[in-house]
Amino acid sequence: MWKFTVRRLLITTPQIILLSAIVFILAKMMPGDALTGLIDPTLSQERIAEMREKLGLNNPWYIQYRDWLAGVVQGDFGQSFKYQMPVTELIWQRVINTFWLSLVSTIMIYAIGLPLGIVSGRYNDRLIDQLITGYTYLGFATPVFIFGLVALWIFGFMLGWFPTGGSVEPGLEPGTFEYILSKLHHLLLPSLSIALIGTVGTVQYLRSEIIDTKQRDFIITARAKGAPERRVYNRHIFRNSILPIAAFFGYEIINLINGSIFIEQIFSYPGMGNLFIESIMLRDYSVVTALVLLSGILAILGALLSDIILSVVDPRIRIK
Amino acid sequence: MTLLKVNDLKVHFPIRGGILNRKIDAIRAVDGVNFEIRQGETYGLVGESGSGKTTTGKAVMGLNNITDGEIYFENELLNKGSKVNIRRDIQMIFQDPYSSLNPRKRVFDIIAEPIRNYEKLSKQEEKRRVQELLSQVGLSPESILKYPHEFSGGQRQRIGVARAIALKPKLIIMDEPVSALDVSVQAQVLNFMQELQEELNLTYLFISHDLGVVKHMCDRIGIMYNGRYVEEGTKEEIFNDPQHIYTKRLVAAIPDIDPKRRQDNFKFREQVKDEFTNSYNDYFDEDGLAYQLKPITDTHRVALPERG
Amino acid sequence: MSQKQTQGDIEKAVKEQQEEKQEQKSPSGFRIFWREILKDKLALVSLIFFVLITVVVFGASEILDKAEVTRVDPFNIYQPPSDEFLLGTDQGGRDIFGQLMIGTRNSLAIGFLVTLLSGIIGVVFGVVSGYFGGHIDNALMRVVDFFMVLPFIMLVIVFVAIVPKYSIWTFSLIMTAFLWMGIARLIRSKALQEKELDYAQASRTLGSSHTKIIFKQVLPNITSLIVVTMTLNLAANIGIESGLSFLGFGFPKDTPSLGTLLSYTTNPITLEERWWIWLPAAVLILLLMLSVRNVGEALKRAADARQRRA
Repeated sequence: MWKFTVRRLLITTPQIILLSAIVFILAKMMPGDALTGLIDPTLSQERIAEMREKLGLNNPWYIQYRDWLAGVVQGDFGQSFKYQMPVTELIWQRVINTFWLSLVSTIMIYAIGLPLGIVSGRYNDRLIDQLITGYTYLGFATPVFIFGLVALWIFGFMLGWFPTGGSVEPGLEPGTFEYILSKLHHLLLPSLSIALIGTVGTVQYLRSEIIDTKQRDFIITARAKGAPERRVYNRHIFRNSILPIAAFFGYEIINLINGSIFIEQIFSYPGMGNLFIESIMLRDYSVVTALVLLSGILAILGALLSDIILSVVDPRIRIK
Repeated sequence: MTLLKVNDLKVHFPIRGGILNRKIDAIRAVDGVNFEIRQGETYGLVGESGSGKTTTGKAVMGLNNITDGEIYFENELLNKGSKVNIRRDIQMIFQDPYSSLNPRKRVFDIIAEPIRNYEKLSKQEEKRRVQELLSQVGLSPESILKYPHEFSGGQRQRIGVARAIALKPKLIIMDEPVSALDVSVQAQVLNFMQELQEELNLTYLFISHDLGVVKHMCDRIGIMYNGRYVEEGTKEEIFNDPQHIYTKRLVAAIPDIDPKRRQDNFKFREQVKDEFTNSYNDYFDEDGLAYQLKPITDTHRVALPERG
Repeated sequence: MSQKQTQGDIEKAVKEQQEEKQEQKSPSGFRIFWREILKDKLALVSLIFFVLITVVVFGASEILDKAEVTRVDPFNIYQPPSDEFLLGTDQGGRDIFGQLMIGTRNSLAIGFLVTLLSGIIGVVFGVVSGYFGGHIDNALMRVVDFFMVLPFIMLVIVFVAIVPKYSIWTFSLIMTAFLWMGIARLIRSKALQEKELDYAQASRTLGSSHTKIIFKQVLPNITSLIVVTMTLNLAANIGIESGLSFLGFGFPKDTPSLGTLLSYTTNPITLEERWWIWLPAAVLILLLMLSVRNVGEALKRAADARQRRA
């Protein structure tokens, strides 16, 4: 197990370095100065040239790369040109918002997925299973942004049950009960949209896993020993099927990031994804660079986490 | 005349481990094997599973890289370092007639594959050749557009034979060619292969674990154990005068269909078994490997320790 | 009576044998696929629907004048559906129905293109990796792993934003660059199994080169998997493209796609009150994805069933 972990870590390091290199190259391809955000791309040519020289942007690439990396490691992503504030500061608030969105979504994904998957697997081919399977079938074919859009239209605009934008009612005192309640209210519809689409994979996996486990010899043995049906399911089948699902959480991070870009855009929720699209539109490239790098590292670490948990849960999974 | 000469052949597979996945040890699948096959004979390679007989066959064929040694065919060196050349003069018949024929290909394409690789024939000639080959192995030439799954195991093995003889090879390596077949079909296929040998003047390297089949087919026999030879000799020498304790035990294990001799056979086997356990250390070294071969007669070689 | 019966049986057997003689040529793999689709009613309906939509939108786009459809008409802004404008008009007074036709065609075209390109790259990558195994496989799979964890939507958007001469082709290439890994992985694990089978080794002994074995021996055994995966990918790619266009980072501005129509909902009033602008596009995306998936799933079942029989 530790051997696997070390080996897996050895793969992670070059992954992160490669990611940073790609982000660096992309940043260099962007107009203006995407790494520090101190040059306005609309300035005159001479002025830009002057600034470039001053900021060390005419240094050889490896020195620039080293300087940039050194800054990033210390949490310095440069300056947001549009907001005229440090990128780190700007991102921080948005990251927290996205964190809450992802957290609530994740809780909902499991809160919806586990019971549906278990019921579907246990009573497979009965009516209830057919209904659930129908839902997963539709869910698989529905892009999350269309679902979010329709949900916002019906529940936000037509029925008026949920707010249609923002992360909290303006004018509320942070920390009060109303404030938290309003935050949750704003979170509910977007995270439900992510969860209802995002959970279908969990449901399907759990269903097939349970159906598979049901026919294994050790379950038949447990039944033959006279264990009551409830015990067979609780002690033997679920424990075998649920553990891998818990481990998939890390792989889900990339999906959460992708999903939040769409959902935050639709619900005008002030998170990372929303900021990303906004910054790209405003050509605020230092923010873009920071967000891409951050998301990439999160996704890499998520996969690392999942791989390690999985190797503990299931010793058959090993990379060579 | 010597057709194939294998000189100190070694095939080792690396065992990887540790954090960096380096080679930490090796499985010595074939560990210093020498033998010669003469033109026109059938040479049997016998051993239990894991003894290295199939690996030896595949190495000669060029399907495995070799670690050390030389392979000569018609006095020509086949291997450059670890790479063994694939020759059209050497062909192979595989153990499993189900997986050795591509399930997505029609019989025509399967048998025509070697012809297309080495000869430029027109579509018409090609088709005629394939039909000839099919009737040569006793299958209906009309079935060239069928798929392999439409044939029985024995028929499939005949398709494999047709494919192997398409290039008129000199040596055919047969890796347990009948062990996947029903017993009733085995003899049929074996006899057919003997007829084919006469007809096409073929040389066989016959790999098997089944001594009964080997006795039926082979002129000379080599016995392998744990990657090494323990004994080699003519069929008579191996079956009538086995010298090595491992060979003795193998020969003793051949079933006898005469029920009257059941008691005797049983006693004999027990006796050999005792001898095997008692004198195991005389015949194998500390690692459980066989010693170097020592000639007893011109044709008979046995792996015995120096002290004799 | 029994004699009569026996005679009948013999006649029947003889007849059967004769029929068999004539039927020496066995059906090919694709024929079997086709038969399975015909048996599956839902898949058949989906296939007909998809083909119909494809034919209609490609046909309509030929007839419709693109300049006419995208011409701004300030006197007809935000018209609800009427006889003149079948699905109303948008903020520029442009006909939604026309945009829907051209948009669907564009979405489908790029869906096909990206699926094909990523499919080719993925298959070649996967089959090479699986067939050769060992160090090659190890190295190639690390590349796949790396691409898999990249924040793909973000990177595509960045590329779209900074690529200088942006066109439909560059867009397809950018999408392809991040969409070939899934199929590569699947094909690789299948190729890994296939090359262990004796027929691949037999081909070596018969003098076939590695390239020949990969493409002529191994690949035909993977085609069903490729067809199934590519079909399912087509559905996914239509969704991804419309999502990117929805965010404004898909098709170039002057080329409408299904996602472009949805992107009009950035104006909340459009989302709330002018359903005719975006809802048809949303429904069409859903139906297209669903129908393609149905076909894909049916093919998958067919492939599985065939595997079980073989």
